[in-house]
Amino acid sequence: MTLSADQRMHLAEFAKVMIPGGADMPSAEDLMLWRDPIDEVLAIDPSRLEPMVRFLDLPGNIATLADVEALAQTDRAGFEALGIVLANAYFMHPQTRAAIGYPGQEARDSSGGLTPDDEALLKPVIARGPIYRSP
Amino acid sequence: MTGTSLTAHSDVVIVGAGPSGAVAAGELIAAGISVTVLEQGDWVPADAFDGATPHWELTQLRKWHPNPNVRGRAEDYPIDTSHSDVNPLMFAGVGGAALIYGAHWMRFMPSDFRVKTLDGIADDWPFTYEDLEPFYAYVEEAMAVSGRDGNTAYPDGAPCPLPPLPIGKVGRKAAAGMNKLGWHWWPGSNAIPSRPYRSLQPCVLRSTCGTGCSDEAKATPDRTHWPQAIHQGVNLVTGARVCEIETDSPGRASGVVWIDGKGERHRHKADVVILCANGIGTPRLLLMSGLANRSGLVGRRLMMHPFAAVMGTFDDDLESWVGPAGQILTSMQFYETDKSRGFVRGAKWNCMPAGGPQSFRAGYGDGPLTDAWGTTLHERVRRKFGRSFEWGIVGEDLPDEVNRIALSDTQTDSSGLPAAEVHYTVSDNTRAMLDFHTARAVEAMEAAGAIETSVTSLIRDCGWHLMGTAVMGNDPETSVTNTEGRCHDVENLYIFDGSLFPTSSGMNPTATIMAVAAKCVLALIENRATVGTAA
Repeated sequence: MTLSADQRMHLAEFAKVMIPGGADMPSAEDLMLWRDPIDEVLAIDPSRLEPMVRFLDLPGNIATLADVEALAQTDRAGFEALGIVLANAYFMHPQTRAAIGYPGQEARDSSGGLTPDDEALLKPVIARGPIYRSP
Repeated sequence: MTGTSLTAHSDVVIVGAGPSGAVAAGELIAAGISVTVLEQGDWVPADAFDGATPHWELTQLRKWHPNPNVRGRAEDYPIDTSHSDVNPLMFAGVGGAALIYGAHWMRFMPSDFRVKTLDGIADDWPFTYEDLEPFYAYVEEAMAVSGRDGNTAYPDGAPCPLPPLPIGKVGRKAAAGMNKLGWHWWPGSNAIPSRPYRSLQPCVLRSTCGTGCSDEAKATPDRTHWPQAIHQGVNLVTGARVCEIETDSPGRASGVVWIDGKGERHRHKADVVILCANGIGTPRLLLMSGLANRSGLVGRRLMMHPFAAVMGTFDDDLESWVGPAGQILTSMQFYETDKSRGFVRGAKWNCMPAGGPQSFRAGYGDGPLTDAWGTTLHERVRRKFGRSFEWGIVGEDLPDEVNRIALSDTQTDSSGLPAAEVHYTVSDNTRAMLDFHTARAVEAMEAAGAIETSVTSLIRDCGWHLMGTAVMGNDPETSVTNTEGRCHDVENLYIFDGSLFPTSSGMNPTATIMAVAAKCVLALIENRATVGTAA
């Protein structure tokens, strides 16, 4: 199963309303989210395609969030699939990550352990003494 | 049974290759006892996990979700949760659910073993913290536990073999709030090495522990135990789903029958059968086999640790996607009973990073489905992402025979065996406990400077800790096994997993599961000559 041209066009309508951009973050339109980014997500998790397509095939014009809400109430599972696909396409995109200062779940050195400041924070805890209850 | 092929034999057969099975197999083979282990899942190599990829947040919603019903893999069995307030979580594979656990390493507290004596509820354990302490220390060496010695919540300070992981900006923020209130906190203890350790790499703080470690830096039995056990001669068979424990006419276990991925049945005969299939898998197998249930308690007294959480948002950039996750801090300030609070027992807190940006996409409550979208999406992520962390609250769950595992009449697994059916209600005591603790955690967040807090009073997908469904004890009328995990009704059938626990504590149980397994298997080895075997 793949997205038809009509379904992709409908997906673009949803994406523009649901991810309008703002707070110095890009919009779905800035990223053309309904093209390669969506395909990338569906390639990783194809199980989302069928319920999303079912939702996209619902009749109705999408101009506002209220329009989306009305359709979402008729097929919650389909809307959930659409949301997962759109959100992942959006937050996996390098431009979105750069905008929010997110480098991804990057690797860092853990060998530093507790700093002297951390140990200083711990002093009052130690000073209060044991808190366990003896049986 | 008909249609069975390939009969094999070993001194011992173990069902399940998770933490307790790993401890048992390692000790038995070291004692010169032949062991076969049957595991329904498979090996999962580190590079199968997605933590280091951009799509980590996508695959944690399906492929690496902890709920087997969501994953829908053939090697998992489905669980009917329509009668449960909480979804059980687990993973079938070499290493068991530890493959996707948070590696929060907590010993039970001394009072946990004496709740009847101290609080007049539930049951005391048949041994004490002091009895179990050497076994904790033993398994902690194998599990590369990192932490700071001297925890004032424990009589011996709960020493760790490795120094602690960094607590980072999140930990310092949380600790400052706790200090303002004069409340206990301690740097988190985790089965995650802070240094290169045996076969493990040091943690890289990627914070994806709960979806599997792609950096070979989390202590899981597939790394800490199985390679050595196999080298010593353990026969570990994957894709092997045990469907029945067989007995001879005097009622002793003679072995097991298992089903492979093609549906073919096999018989494995053994002098001793040990169940290490977790607090749902073990009673499920006992119920399917019709064994060891004179007490009527097989599958009953299920405890799953209802879990609540308080998220705080701050003005500061805390880089709160950075690990460990793993727990950064813990607190046992309100762990012990204070009856003036309106409930008995208590809860452990763990401070956790908030994860990637999608953690903040969803709204709360019963608002419109589109609440998470539009300009709200951008404003919420901008305000919260990187600036939030969580106090998670693990509440002690008291045993109740009404909370139980049964065999489903309507659902089956991929081998056609009955699915597990969970009947579980969160008790009034637990709800009062979680309400009290979430209120205190909000105070802790505010003391730390939170500009916004949100409370999740009960998370449905929280049933990581599966305990109590084949309780140990001295009386065959009120327990399934003796104090060494040996079934009262079947003298060469043993249980070494969390099913044995008389009470649940408020702690993550893997440390105690492994310590109890070590205690039990060493007793089995010592007493082996007295164990009757099938004719």
